Amino acid sequence: MSTFASLNTALSALRYNRVAMDVASGNIANVATDGYARRRVNAESVGGPDHAAMWSRYVGAGDGVAVASIDRMVDPLLDIRARREHGNQAYLDVRQSALERVEAGIGEPGDSGVAAAMAEFRTAWHDLANNPGSDAARAQVLGRAATLADALRIQARNIDTEAGDQRLRIQANVAEVNTVAADLAATNKSIAIANLNGTDAGVLLDKRDQLALRLSELTGASATARPDGGFDVSVNGVPLVAGSQAGILSVASGINPDGTSDGLPITYAITDGAGTTALPSGMTGEIGGVTDLLTTTLPAYASGLDAVAQELADQVNAQHALGFDAAGNPGGVFFSYNPADPAGSLAVAITLPGEVAASSVPGGGLDAGNATALAGLAGFESSYQRLVNGFGTEVASVKRLAANQQVLTSQVDASREQLSGVSLDEEMVSMLASQHAYEAAARVMTTLDSVLDTLINRTGLTR
Amino acid sequence: MAIQRVTQNMLSQRSLFSLQNGLGKMSRLQEQLSTGRVLNRPSDSPTDTTSAMRIRSTLADVRQYGRNANDGNGWLSQIDAALTSANDQVLRARDLALQGANEGVAGPTAREALAAEVDQIRAGMIDTANSSYLGRPVFGGVTAGAKAYDATGTFVGTPGAVNRTVNVGSTIRVDVEGTTAFGPTGNSVFDHLDALSVALRAGNQAGISASITALNADRDQITTTQTEVGSRQLRVEKAIQASQDEDLRLSSSLSEVENADLPKVIVDLQLQQTAYQASLAATARVMQPSLLDFLR
Repeated sequence: MSTFASLNTALSALRYNRVAMDVASGNIANVATDGYARRRVNAESVGGPDHAAMWSRYVGAGDGVAVASIDRMVDPLLDIRARREHGNQAYLDVRQSALERVEAGIGEPGDSGVAAAMAEFRTAWHDLANNPGSDAARAQVLGRAATLADALRIQARNIDTEAGDQRLRIQANVAEVNTVAADLAATNKSIAIANLNGTDAGVLLDKRDQLALRLSELTGASATARPDGGFDVSVNGVPLVAGSQAGILSVASGINPDGTSDGLPITYAITDGAGTTALPSGMTGEIGGVTDLLTTTLPAYASGLDAVAQELADQVNAQHALGFDAAGNPGGVFFSYNPADPAGSLAVAITLPGEVAASSVPGGGLDAGNATALAGLAGFESSYQRLVNGFGTEVASVKRLAANQQVLTSQVDASREQLSGVSLDEEMVSMLASQHAYEAAARVMTTLDSVLDTLINRTGLTR
Repeated sequence: MAIQRVTQNMLSQRSLFSLQNGLGKMSRLQEQLSTGRVLNRPSDSPTDTTSAMRIRSTLADVRQYGRNANDGNGWLSQIDAALTSANDQVLRARDLALQGANEGVAGPTAREALAAEVDQIRAGMIDTANSSYLGRPVFGGVTAGAKAYDATGTFVGTPGAVNRTVNVGSTIRVDVEGTTAFGPTGNSVFDHLDALSVALRAGNQAGISASITALNADRDQITTTQTEVGSRQLRVEKAIQASQDEDLRLSSSLSEVENADLPKVIVDLQLQQTAYQASLAATARVMQPSLLDFLR
């Protein structure tokens, strides 16, 4: 055993503790960095060789300490869970915010919504029935009818506008997915190289996890680890990122490049080296949420509104045609609409107050039987109430689901944070421990120095 | 959840989460307080929203029914007044006829004076029969013209009912056709007055007594009509009362569904405020200390 072996042992301790302090200071520096997983340094004691060499024998008592590894404190299972929950959360959040916007535009229950306009429309017919000779009462009927048509049109337009905005959002999201996927593919490549080189890939792995999480938030994609350390990502079973190769997500149908609808259901496809694969429906994440809004929720409300507008126009027109106007002519068409888009095109077809058919007998008398009958029409109103009720129920349910999901997501995040988060107290403690160990190792060196001094300079001296 | 390791980030995120939660609840309560309503959008309670919309719609109807009934009341009051006046006038004409029938008293000059007054009464009756409400002759049916009878006492109105809707599916007729109250043309009170005036001038005793009989029948007719108008007016007044009661009842139901219970909201807000302040205080205490404070 060499005289100087202990010096080397002390030196290894100095080296190891410097690394431990580096790691602690790195952790402290990144305490608030998004996606940073804390590192932990693992030590191993250095002992004799595993296999003794021929004609030799190890006589030492350990050769100090070395850095075995620097671990990233992550749990792959928790990460998978987190990606899934974040995907669901993004899906619900997108739906909630869009539906709340649409709901705010409905303005029910209140004094200015469609329901109020319907009640006023009826009231106007009653007033006309009380006063069939008055042009003012006739003009009031026309005015209130126009208000009602406007109210329905405004709602239809709100839905249209929301759908248009959401189509643009899909395009932006798809572009982001492609950027993130390309980044992830590049990161995968760097990780593979770093692993081959044997350099620390921790920062790259942090980046990889963040990119995969973002992809899950956008599309609900799932990621599987590769042997070389990278991630393969697939959306609904169709591969998007495979190693260093990223596919391109694109809108296959439903949205024109300028953001308008082409009338078809919205579908997606992924193009990679092997060709183009259509995505099955049922994505989650932001894109899934917006797609469901555009294919199911918004069209359902819009068609409900169309049905209300059509029912209103048809009922009023049918009853109006049974009456006779001020000149004694049979009543004409009261509301006009385009059958392809009833709510969006509803308008009052009559312009002259005299053409309102208030009378139920020909001859231009002041009979008001038809006005009374028109005031009694109410079928469209309960259709509208049902529509609003259904929509309100849907919004309330999405809000509840999103709130529940929020609890789940934050719990998973808390579990991850519990494992991966940097605790300043802990880092201070390990820093202090390293500091003390460093000081002790330095003291060992001083002691050895003094021992050697005794050996070299004082051996043989008797005084 | 078993917590093994607590980091500063966890603490700050939890604090933020609960602060946001508290603020969210406060903002909901604040919205309820400032709008005075618990129903601000359909999703606050879809069922209550439907109830509120139904009540609002019914309320609008009920108020309109009240207005319709009030308008009908105007018509019927006008008719009632006209019929009372007509009754008085017929009575006066009959008295004049009785005077004329008294041969010993009435000489030709006196009968001429009586006949002149009967002519005046007839003109007055025609005016009464042309009474109008808001520009429409109340005895003229659905006529678009301004008169129910012309100067000769001929009915020029258009037969037809003027109805007022006072409830769902319930209408009340608020006009009286002139021929019902005053008899058909050719056999109307005006014709009888005309005949009386002619008989008086001619001293035709048989004609005078026939007129007296006819006028008595006319008066019965007018009284009967007036009774019927009175019963209709009673219905209209009941409808007005019912609409006012219903208005009150529905308004209070609406307010029960839509409006915030202020004392409750204020107490809730107070509770939330306390909770919010507590979580602020907890945050301040938890975030501050760290091991660093105790290291030299």
